[in-house]
Amino acid sequence: MNTTTASTLPAAAAQKIPWRKSKKLDQWICYWSVPFFYNLFGIVFVPLSWMMPPRSPSSPLPDVVAFMQSHNLLLACAILTLAYGLAPVSNAVYLTQMKRMSVNPAFRVTLMIGSIAGAIVGMLFPLFCFGLGAFRSGYEPAVLQMLYDFGYLAFIGSLGCFCAMWMAFGLAILLDHNNILPKWLGYYTVWQFVTELVAAPVWIDKSGAFGWNGLMTFWLAMLIYVPWQFIVYVCIYKAIRDQPEDELDNAVARKPGRAPAGAGA
Amino acid sequence: MTVADASAVVDRDTRTTVVTRSRHVPGEPSMWFFVIGDLFIFAIYFVLYVVYRQQQHALFLSSEQHLNQGIGAINTVVLLTSSLFVALGTQTARLGKARDAMRLFVFAAATGALFPILKLVEWLPELGAGLTPGHNLFFMFYYVMAGLHLCHVMLGLVIMCFVIRDLRISKAPDMKFIEAGATYWHMVDLLWLVLFALFYLMR
Repeated sequence: MNTTTASTLPAAAAQKIPWRKSKKLDQWICYWSVPFFYNLFGIVFVPLSWMMPPRSPSSPLPDVVAFMQSHNLLLACAILTLAYGLAPVSNAVYLTQMKRMSVNPAFRVTLMIGSIAGAIVGMLFPLFCFGLGAFRSGYEPAVLQMLYDFGYLAFIGSLGCFCAMWMAFGLAILLDHNNILPKWLGYYTVWQFVTELVAAPVWIDKSGAFGWNGLMTFWLAMLIYVPWQFIVYVCIYKAIRDQPEDELDNAVARKPGRAPAGAGA
Repeated sequence: MTVADASAVVDRDTRTTVVTRSRHVPGEPSMWFFVIGDLFIFAIYFVLYVVYRQQQHALFLSSEQHLNQGIGAINTVVLLTSSLFVALGTQTARLGKARDAMRLFVFAAATGALFPILKLVEWLPELGAGLTPGHNLFFMFYYVMAGLHLCHVMLGLVIMCFVIRDLRISKAPDMKFIEAGATYWHMVDLLWLVLFALFYLMR
């Protein structure tokens, strides 16, 4: 694999290109949208609505009703409605780097479809459930209880699509001969798959270690997931930074018949 | 974690086998990262299991009686035997005897494949008797942790198939890959020994 940076441009000339004219600008914008998205998510889920850490699956009905009809939840759902479209952008960052790997495109497609399914089940469904409770007053407490269960189970218990996508991502890193991302990250990603499996009992248990707020199913998963999320973006940052410009999809000039930038120089 | 071994390298130009003695960390460092991390994660599960077991000792003790100790013991022997074949296969591959190593890895994979079959034989009657994960906390722990281990076994069998493929088609076996696969399989073995002790033997 060609690892020379900006092979078609002299190094000094490449450094002089202003960042606004960098061919990686679009990729960098996508990349930096990710911390924005996750920070927004963090604020919405934790201090604003206290959806997270998850409330108890066996909360008393009055507590569930008070939560589902709270103003803070309404505000959180309003922000999520506007911002959830950023999720595909973050996945595009993964996919762009996966495209550079020497593995079969099936891995990339699996991640793509898995993340689409994951966003629908793990984000849209909870949004609708909590949003219904918050925006539409007048529901019976039993209905609100059902929406509460549905919302949390969709958010924490949506396993299959995430299992498949993380396994595809992890295996793609491990099998890649171009070394786009470090091998140890591939193994770390396999643990993501494991944590998804451990979350399966949330459908069965309503309290204790295997409830949706349990030590085994939630807290241990978070112990693995949160550092992984930080680390994977540091690795992706390095992968984008080290990507040769002539390897970019937009390296070819827009005018038909014109050679890629710097070709023949 | 270094090994002193006789490693053989097939020189592609001269078709000669050069046997060298060296001390090195077997496999790939990234695999060790995975193994140590995986052991750490399982260690947390084990600690949590013991803590909950202490809290509900009578329940856990009575539930353990429903497990099939015989199949558990056979599975232990199965995995240990498979691990032995893996160790012998790795040693043989280091000496450059790819054919013999492949044969040993086939034995290892065949023995290892018995594990999921025996698990099925063990679990079907238990599930049929209503001893499902929802039965009580013990069975939840049991199915989750044994299920996770089973996933590791399945992944190990897949890795073993790739090792066999590598030994079959390549003139110079990729020792790093073979050692990484062997390391992983030994970890699977080690995890089972702890699981067996915790779920089947602990009183």
